[in-house]
Amino acid sequence: MASLRLIAASTLISQGAEAKVYKARLTSDESDPPVLLKHRFQKGYRHPSLDSSLTRSRVTGEARALVKCLRAGVNVPGLRMVDAAEGILGIEWIDGLSVRKLLPGGTPEEEDEEEEDTPEPLTEYGISVDVLMRLIGQELAKLHLADVIHGDLTTSNMMLRHPRSFASHDSSLPTQLVLIDFGLSYHSSLVEDKAVDLYVLERAFASTHPQSEPLFAQVLEAYEQGMGKEWAAVSRRLDDVRLRGRKRSMVG
Amino acid sequence: MLSYQLPHLPPELSQIHIALYTGVAPADAAALKRRLISAATAEGVEGEREREAVNFAFVDARLITSTRLLRAAVYSAVLADAQGRLLTKTVHSEIIWTLNPTNNISEAMRRYGVSETTTALVLVRVAGPDLPASDIQIAMDAAVKGKRVLMEELESVTDWGAIKKYHKLANEPALKEVRGNVAGEHAIIDEIVVSQAALRSVQA
Repeated sequence: MASLRLIAASTLISQGAEAKVYKARLTSDESDPPVLLKHRFQKGYRHPSLDSSLTRSRVTGEARALVKCLRAGVNVPGLRMVDAAEGILGIEWIDGLSVRKLLPGGTPEEEDEEEEDTPEPLTEYGISVDVLMRLIGQELAKLHLADVIHGDLTTSNMMLRHPRSFASHDSSLPTQLVLIDFGLSYHSSLVEDKAVDLYVLERAFASTHPQSEPLFAQVLEAYEQGMGKEWAAVSRRLDDVRLRGRKRSMVG
Repeated sequence: MLSYQLPHLPPELSQIHIALYTGVAPADAAALKRRLISAATAEGVEGEREREAVNFAFVDARLITSTRLLRAAVYSAVLADAQGRLLTKTVHSEIIWTLNPTNNISEAMRRYGVSETTTALVLVRVAGPDLPASDIQIAMDAAVKGKRVLMEELESVTDWGAIKKYHKLANEPALKEVRGNVAGEHAIIDEIVVSQAALRSVQA
């Protein structure tokens, strides 16, 4: 009940098929920063006991993945609270924008089209497109070296922290690339899974950002450097995946 | 003393009071520990009164990285109490259990609770709105022999080495990345242990 009261007092940010996302305050303390709540609401089309066990395991899985990433040095939002019974995950509120909205030529998402008045939004974050691509590659390499597969890599699931609220430890980099939405993530050391993860992102780039081929090549270059010895195998498999698509076998 | 509300939780768990004490003599800490143990089993009206006098979470401040960490552990413990799924006897002991990364309750008390080597203590009280903050402050001051200081002084007593050891962080890639940068390392350790405390409710 407590968490549902919390949600009733929060601001809805967006809604998908699986969950609603809110901006909330856990305490009355003004110095306590806001959090993002992800509520996996009840699905009326599932049997209630199946629904609650699925929700519980997904919330738990997402929370565990975030902590695993933090330990591995992957930039992800910190965890603030978990209520597995109600299907609620509370994570750090990140002040910034998704890479999708920051990339030139990124097609605006359906509802909001008002951001066209900022012609070059990246300058506010103090980095160039080239640097942004490199940051993406570095972060993905750290993720895969920790054997975490994101499962839904798109430019919407990456954010840049706004320099106004981010205390950088590197004077040449006023921002930080953060991977978000680990709802479909899982643990795997298989080359196949890593290659498919990259392939999904490559397709996402191609469909949301026109003329993005050179951009993705830069991502892969930084990924290659980050992966070291592991790159050769992933690269070979990525070539296979490109030929056949994401699904391994079309028969049987 | 830091006081704040959890407005969405049941009233009897909604008022949180936190205070930091430094300069605690080890002998006094040992006496306090003995007092807590005897209060737990004392009988009758006297026992009730004694338990009320020490009705706090006594946390060794060396293992606390920030007030953020306390807030996360308190939230997790209070939510567990509100949902009737406490794993320890009280919401106060649950806070200590939440701070420790393993499931062993006596290990949590040994590491994060008051011990013979404690020199700085954090007291936490989860209460209802009918108990004024001033009364709680008086009760806290009476329970601890030490100097009540601002929460901001936490950083001067934090033992980062012990935290790294208990959370097994020494060989994590996250820390290797910031080697040589003390402020960066502390920020990362803080983020990991805060997130770890929030995760506790689904780890048991």
